[in-house]
Amino acid sequence: MAGPIESSPRPTPATALHLGDMAATGRSGLTALLKVALLLARHEARLARRDLAYILTAGHRWRLGTVLLVLAIGFVFMHVLAYGMVGGYAAETPAANLNIYIPLTGTILLALLLMLSQALERVTRLFYMKGDLDLLVSSPVSLRLIFMLRIGNTAVTTLVMICFVLIPFVNVLILHGGSHWLSIFGLAVAGACTTSGFALILTAMLFDTMGPRRTRLVSQIVSAVVGSAFVIGIQAAAILSIGRMSQEAFFTSDLLRSHAPEMGSLLWWPARAALGDGRALLGCIVLGFGSLLVPMLVLARHIGNYAASAGSAVLSARQQLSRLGWFATTSARLLLWRKEWLLLWRDPWLASQSLMQLLYLIPPALLLWRFYGHDRGALIVLAPVLTMAAGQLAGGLAWLAVSGEDAPDLIATAPISPARALAGKVEAVLMLVFLIFAPFLAGLAGLSLEMTLVVALGIIAASVSSTMIQIWFRSQAKRRYFSRRQTSSRLATFAEAFCAVSWAAAAGLWLQNPIFATVPIVVALLILCAARALRPA
Amino acid sequence: MNQITANQQVPSAAGPAPALQVAELRKRFKQPAVDGLSFSVAQGEFYALLGPNGAGKTTTLRIVAGLMRPDSGSVGIFGIDALRDPIAAKRITAWVSDEPMIYDKMTPMEYLVFVAGLWGVAPAAAARRARDLIAMLDLTAQADERCEDFSKGMRQKVALAGALVHDPRLIILDEPLTGLDARAARLVKDVLKDRVRQGSTVVMTTHILEVAERMADRIGLIGRGRLIAEGTLADLRTRVGRGETSLEDVFLTLTAENETPDDAAEG
Repeated sequence: MAGPIESSPRPTPATALHLGDMAATGRSGLTALLKVALLLARHEARLARRDLAYILTAGHRWRLGTVLLVLAIGFVFMHVLAYGMVGGYAAETPAANLNIYIPLTGTILLALLLMLSQALERVTRLFYMKGDLDLLVSSPVSLRLIFMLRIGNTAVTTLVMICFVLIPFVNVLILHGGSHWLSIFGLAVAGACTTSGFALILTAMLFDTMGPRRTRLVSQIVSAVVGSAFVIGIQAAAILSIGRMSQEAFFTSDLLRSHAPEMGSLLWWPARAALGDGRALLGCIVLGFGSLLVPMLVLARHIGNYAASAGSAVLSARQQLSRLGWFATTSARLLLWRKEWLLLWRDPWLASQSLMQLLYLIPPALLLWRFYGHDRGALIVLAPVLTMAAGQLAGGLAWLAVSGEDAPDLIATAPISPARALAGKVEAVLMLVFLIFAPFLAGLAGLSLEMTLVVALGIIAASVSSTMIQIWFRSQAKRRYFSRRQTSSRLATFAEAFCAVSWAAAAGLWLQNPIFATVPIVVALLILCAARALRPA
Repeated sequence: MNQITANQQVPSAAGPAPALQVAELRKRFKQPAVDGLSFSVAQGEFYALLGPNGAGKTTTLRIVAGLMRPDSGSVGIFGIDALRDPIAAKRITAWVSDEPMIYDKMTPMEYLVFVAGLWGVAPAAAARRARDLIAMLDLTAQADERCEDFSKGMRQKVALAGALVHDPRLIILDEPLTGLDARAARLVKDVLKDRVRQGSTVVMTTHILEVAERMADRIGLIGRGRLIAEGTLADLRTRVGRGETSLEDVFLTLTAENETPDDAAEG
């Protein structure tokens, strides 16, 4: 990483590599600037490539072959999935009607929110992640150039991420409809530029209004919420207006059609561009580049200040009301419970990450509210949703308590047995999960005791399974690496996910016919046995 | 929770038990890290464990603190078999590592009261001791700020306060002065000397030989997981046959003697 930077020719003051000095330094200055820009771009690309490799292999290069094989199988599977989802739309052309424009625009909006979530996280990291920033900032290269390249890199990374998802769909559409569907990639370029530019504006606004310390937290929370908010919002709207928890129902509803603008509206340009309309595509791309370049150039002069203030944010300590009474006990169990709860409460970013699953509970909560006392049949869907959410939530919280212990030596040298310390943490996690799901169970109890019992058992089974998997696969890590916890053990991640899915299926099927539930129950137990057998020594 | 404090004695038939008795300790990773190490530290003694990088100092202390199980050997803490009854041994022991591990989202006061609670100190006494330690370690201004913004030196002071808040009889420290400025280092040294004066026992590793020279009652020098030499500074000087030489010279001479010709060739 440091090698290429240090080995590059150090520019003399006469050829200082500042954007503003370009005119003064003339042609040689411009050449030097381009050389450094190229060097930095290659540097960024190499870092991004290594970052991706690390995410895929968790730092174990020998896993790369297996990972590539799994990706290849997944890629083929995605084509099958894509055929089922979009195969019927392949014959559409730009001259389509609102029945196509509305769902296509909704899907594009959904993809844009996903890209915005990714871009926001990357732009925030750009200012706060130390890494090689000190080296680059202390070099004679213009800070504006460094950040402009890094923001450009954010757009490229966002584009690569969305292309991974798009390729199978575009392949299917091209195969069955023609090459005009290639325009989707052009639209993806426009989307990556637009969302990166918007992420930059939003981050700058946060810096100016909230200061460097809160910007990081708020931006990370916004990034996480944006990633899921649209799907949840659509589902909530579908439940309230139509009564079915389906995005498709919402996009094809008369309600939306009656409020949609005319066919010639600019709002449909992205949809028209996706369908192969060259003029609309060009418009989208120009708008996309513009929405990235304008904030980049306007904000470039402030970027150094943002980076500097982000670097000094950690020095401004904040007075905190101590909760000494909270720890006024000599019961190790109580102390460990309270410690876990306090640490989670005081870290809103971690809390937002681990409690993100709760956002997905909003649609079932609305469903419960809407059909309360009317239609019990529709509520059966709650059993798998709640069970799945409980499993995922318990897995995240268990990772924080067990692997994300920030003072492992303290707990290990305390005069309590390791089993007791572990039990205290597990109890803290499970109590929190049950506290969160208790209102749902109370609501269900008014409708059906059988359903309440099944959902409660599903929540218990999924939570305990996820927690056990986290205990078997625990590995010491800093809490701040929570969002990358999956990379430490893919096996644990898959076991946890499949186990939660199996318990969710069991809960749903039990309410239809208990006999059907035996299969997913056996699958869940087999997964647990396999996970235990494969746990690290 | 029962607690044995510095003022209580663990009964022993053959006089006061050593504060720390390590016998034939062995621990192997890819290579032997600790290879039949034996040494003893008397009650109320300040013992410095020295050795080159990779000599096995940290592994030894982590085993003593109960953070690691040895392959074989024994560890006695005030007569308690620390491997058979680790909970009893931990009640009277404190551990401070070179990398202070504290909770970023807690304030120093909260951290100290939490640690005291884990060691069974009554809440009222815990708050009092925490306040005293915070004042002693010059942390009063930061007592109610979260530790997440603290410098390495401040974090190390909080970790040290956490180790002392339950009034341990044996304090084990692994490079506690790493990264501290002169003022903080002096403060930590004063606190440790004060604890020894009050009857506690300190076992410490350090690369700062001047600290060992000035503070330690006895010095143990280990290399390749074995004890090379042990004694007061005068004893070690006698061993190398130079009366007025510094600990640095003694250290370099004795560790060089311990190297095999193969090591020298590798080096």
